Amino acid sequence: MKRPRLGIFKLTSCDGCQLSLLNLEEDLLRLVELFSLCFFREASDKELRGYFDLALVEGSISEPRQKEQIIRVREQSRYFITIGACATSGGLQAMKNWAVLESFKKSVYPEPALIESLSTSTPVSDHVYVDYEIWGCPVTGDALSETLACFLLDKRPTIPQYSLCMECKRRAIPCILVSGGKPCLGPITKAGCGALCPSFGRACYGCFGPRDDANIDPLMKWFEKRGYSGKERRLLLDMMNTCAYRRIQIEKKD
Amino acid sequence: MHTGGYRLKRRINVEYLSRVEGEGALTIELLNGRAGRVDLRIFEAPRFFEPVLKGRSFQDVIDFTARICGICPVAYQMSAVHAIEAARGCSVPQPIQDLRRLMYCGEWIESHALHVHFLHGPDFYGLDSAWSKKDYLHILQRGMKLKRLGNELLALLGGRAVHPVSVRPGGFFRVPDKTELYSLLPVLGKGFELSHECITWAASLFERKEAAEDTGSLFISLHDPGSYPMNTGTVCTSDGITYSMDAFTTVMEEYQVPHSNALHAGIKKGTSHHSYMVGPLSRINMNFESLPEEIKEVVQRTGISIPVNDIRMSIVARCVEISYAIHEAMNIIKKYDGADPYIKVEPGEGKGLWITEAPRGMLIHSYQFDRNGNVENARIIPPTSQNLAHIESSLRNFIDRNNHLTTKALRRGCEHIIRSYDPCISCSVHLIDLSAGEN
Repeated sequence: MKRPRLGIFKLTSCDGCQLSLLNLEEDLLRLVELFSLCFFREASDKELRGYFDLALVEGSISEPRQKEQIIRVREQSRYFITIGACATSGGLQAMKNWAVLESFKKSVYPEPALIESLSTSTPVSDHVYVDYEIWGCPVTGDALSETLACFLLDKRPTIPQYSLCMECKRRAIPCILVSGGKPCLGPITKAGCGALCPSFGRACYGCFGPRDDANIDPLMKWFEKRGYSGKERRLLLDMMNTCAYRRIQIEKKD
Repeated sequence: MHTGGYRLKRRINVEYLSRVEGEGALTIELLNGRAGRVDLRIFEAPRFFEPVLKGRSFQDVIDFTARICGICPVAYQMSAVHAIEAARGCSVPQPIQDLRRLMYCGEWIESHALHVHFLHGPDFYGLDSAWSKKDYLHILQRGMKLKRLGNELLALLGGRAVHPVSVRPGGFFRVPDKTELYSLLPVLGKGFELSHECITWAASLFERKEAAEDTGSLFISLHDPGSYPMNTGTVCTSDGITYSMDAFTTVMEEYQVPHSNALHAGIKKGTSHHSYMVGPLSRINMNFESLPEEIKEVVQRTGISIPVNDIRMSIVARCVEISYAIHEAMNIIKKYDGADPYIKVEPGEGKGLWITEAPRGMLIHSYQFDRNGNVENARIIPPTSQNLAHIESSLRNFIDRNNHLTTKALRRGCEHIIRSYDPCISCSVHLIDLSAGEN
């Protein structure tokens, strides 16, 4: 039976999600047996050739060339899955969406004209149709394994879309928000990390992005009542998935 | 072969470098057998971390800078947390320092094992990738065992290997107890034996073990008397000059080149710059004496003599450092007797600079904080951007000495040299210098 052709692509990102793939350890060897790994620049010299049954895409769109690149990849892929905060929400670098580009360029590069950059960093789904998204900064090995296995079985992956709170309850961690009084984004954030930060006694800072139907404003009002200023409340959401949280706030305002 | 007035032009072009982290390309033009244009074209998209950091808190700096790199997030967190504490005039107790060093050991093991076995190793066997031939499988599996060991150590200390969550100013949110750490000793012990095999294997990849001819490279690393440098030390050059961390940043400079999204760096020399190299080769050349006897003996048995001048032998240096990191991890764990997780570091004004040794070399962080403890100014100089100019001069040397080779062979040789530096291109494109512009 022909092995499905797999391609792994990187746009603007830190490479942490591809590394999570390489960190699958023995499962990585299984991956290479079950798929025909046709394109994976991080780990292989193979040139880009032909179509893909599955494309995994890490990274956000922040340069003109990437827009054309991702449309080409989408056209050549039967299934197209984005992995990680950069690809699913624009990433931490999407912070520049809320500011003026030229000032950014000038503060880093003495000759800004030599640098080509868009004024925004946007999720891949803003540009092409995406079949499935795996959120996380980084994504977990489990989510990657689950998704790849389900692809082979022609089945929809079972990845939680409910809030982080469920994972805290399952681990019997005292509520960081209510008992701890810390500014935890858990109630509006997707589960998936296993309540990692709460297990360290710290508040969730939203690596996995907004949960389905996130109720952001009521949580922000809760923070307001506890003395967080408008600016502080905004900064709580301005993290790895800033674009996703802010868009929900903007949408719900209408 | 054409001679006389005929000018023989050749071009080496690699559209997209493979088996390196991040996006880069290579264009070299030869004229009459000599390298003319040597452009390591870094086209990785800039993410402009500086505006992102401005106005953010100490904790945000630690969490955000980790995202500069997925392979070496701990290096960023370590340089950041030390710079923050320097800005506030705090010093943490010894057990916290030990745990930080332990965490860094985890990252050195993971990052080096990845590079040696997955990214660089295949070059020595003419392979496209680490899984293209069954013969390489046992080497890949050894690499995976070692990488997993590093990741386990990171997960124990930081919650996860990529973008750990436990680092905070003053220490950690939570520290492991003795039994948790002790439970890693058996697998570390096995890893240590495996790491000796690794060193011997890496040395066997080279026919010539004696010192290659000196290409005049300037090696720079931290130096920490009595200890192999990680989190602390002074900056030392192979020219024999020592600088404090602060002083070093006054003698080196970053500059922009048209073909790269990453800034280059060099030691100021009149109106131009002297390129230099950071990383495992620099560290081992200047700190070999600080390695444990056991490891020094394994190296000496291979016939390799220090200092090493051949850049390609960095693979041996990485294997030595994997071994050292495992050995050091076991030492720290055996000494560990629990710790208070952190000391309080009050947010407030201050200016701090720190350099730590990331797997790929010295990583410089410098911050200015306002009276609320928020970032006013940030400057981050990753190891790879410090190496870029040196990579280009190594390529130039290689071409000039090997211009009798076919273009295809030259291309492979150049790619191999680039990989020997273990470039982390996503990191290198994140140089932050608020002082350079208006906002």
